[in-house]
Amino acid sequence: MDKKHILDNGLLEQYLLGELNAQDCKQIEHALASDTELKAQFDALEKDFEMLGLENAIEPPKGIKYQLIQDIREAKDTKNNKGNSNLKFYLGIAASVAALSMLGGFWMYNELSDVKQQLQTVETEKTELNDKLNNLNQQIENETVLFATVTHPDTEQYVLKGNTLMPDGKVVSYVNHSTKSVVINTERLPKLDAEHDYQMWADVEGEMINMGVIGKDQNLMAMRYIDHAESLNITIEPAGGNDHPTVVQLVTNVYLK
Amino acid sequence: MLLDEQAFIFGKSLTVMQNDSFLIQQLKDKDERALSLLYDKYAGAIYSVIIKMVRDEGKAQNLLQDTFMTVWDKAESYDANKGRFYTWVFRIARNKTLNFLRKVEPLIQTDDFSVYDSKEDAISIDAKYLELNGAITSLEAHHKEAIELVYFKGLTHKEAHQQMDVPLGTFKSYVRQALKQLRQTYTKTLSLLLLILKAL
Repeated sequence: MDKKHILDNGLLEQYLLGELNAQDCKQIEHALASDTELKAQFDALEKDFEMLGLENAIEPPKGIKYQLIQDIREAKDTKNNKGNSNLKFYLGIAASVAALSMLGGFWMYNELSDVKQQLQTVETEKTELNDKLNNLNQQIENETVLFATVTHPDTEQYVLKGNTLMPDGKVVSYVNHSTKSVVINTERLPKLDAEHDYQMWADVEGEMINMGVIGKDQNLMAMRYIDHAESLNITIEPAGGNDHPTVVQLVTNVYLK
Repeated sequence: MLLDEQAFIFGKSLTVMQNDSFLIQQLKDKDERALSLLYDKYAGAIYSVIIKMVRDEGKAQNLLQDTFMTVWDKAESYDANKGRFYTWVFRIARNKTLNFLRKVEPLIQTDDFSVYDSKEDAISIDAKYLELNGAITSLEAHHKEAIELVYFKGLTHKEAHQQMDVPLGTFKSYVRQALKQLRQTYTKTLSLLLLILKAL
């Protein structure tokens, strides 16, 4: 769009008044930006129209400006409130997150307590297993000692057969004078009630010397070795053993060579 | 005496036309005081245009308020390189008023595009609001009418030439001549004003 066309067709005036469509406006704006003389004409035209407007000014009622400022402030407040409500929204989210975190924390705490509990159980079980293992080791040690005695080449075997009080029972004893040890096998001893125990005695020159109470829970056990024992004797005594043998309750005996 | 009065109005308008780029920048920064000052400067001229278009005080006041609300909201989009602030506000006011007239009373529009003449009977408005003042009053009748139609009544050139019943080319030359004479009057008045100032 050249300058002549613009001026001849009064396009500057129409552009100024806002009559032109967007496309024409763009072309005029382009022409104005590239042609200083045209721009100067447009500036003068604007001033004339402005002067024309100002010369014909009619003062509007004062209330309009007041109302305008009020409306602007209200719009501002609404916007601010919107901001507040945004803030509230975000605070709400933050609160929710905090609540969830707390719940999560509580849940984690519970889980932790459970895990601690489980750990403690495992610890206890481990201790129990260790004890059991120790017991087993102890037992093996004992058995090994007993076995060593039984299998020792100097060990002599004496069988104590039951008398009329204990016709079906017998005890096998292994005596080793070199290691000074006595081991007995009680597999064939009839079971006694809870109030009685078998007790073993050594006869040394007519005197019965205590060799120990025979335990109920194992088949092979070591008894006290007594020097110069002439015979081995077993009596039934009250539970826990007796200081002196109850001779009428003698169930078996054997003479040592 | 008449010249003195004209010089007074002219001088006052000239004062208003001073560069207000600073105020506009403040307006863009959402400064209420800047809006208030710019309103004081231009609301009268804009109100005059609106009221001559709608010929109803109440509606004109609503449209004026609406116009300056838009000025406030859209201040950011005003580009000083493309034109004067007043021109920008004028276009907003003109568009709002035309949209309002098209929307509320489409039936009143007649073939001859005179949105207003048919309303004149129904709406009574103080004649002083329709009067023209200043340099335009010294123009020849057909020049004055041409400017009045496009500037104060919101008609397009195409509508206005039909309203005046002259060819579009003729109408355009009316506008051009009218503007030329206005320019001369303003230049003359400016010289006179400067002379008076000097004498003082």
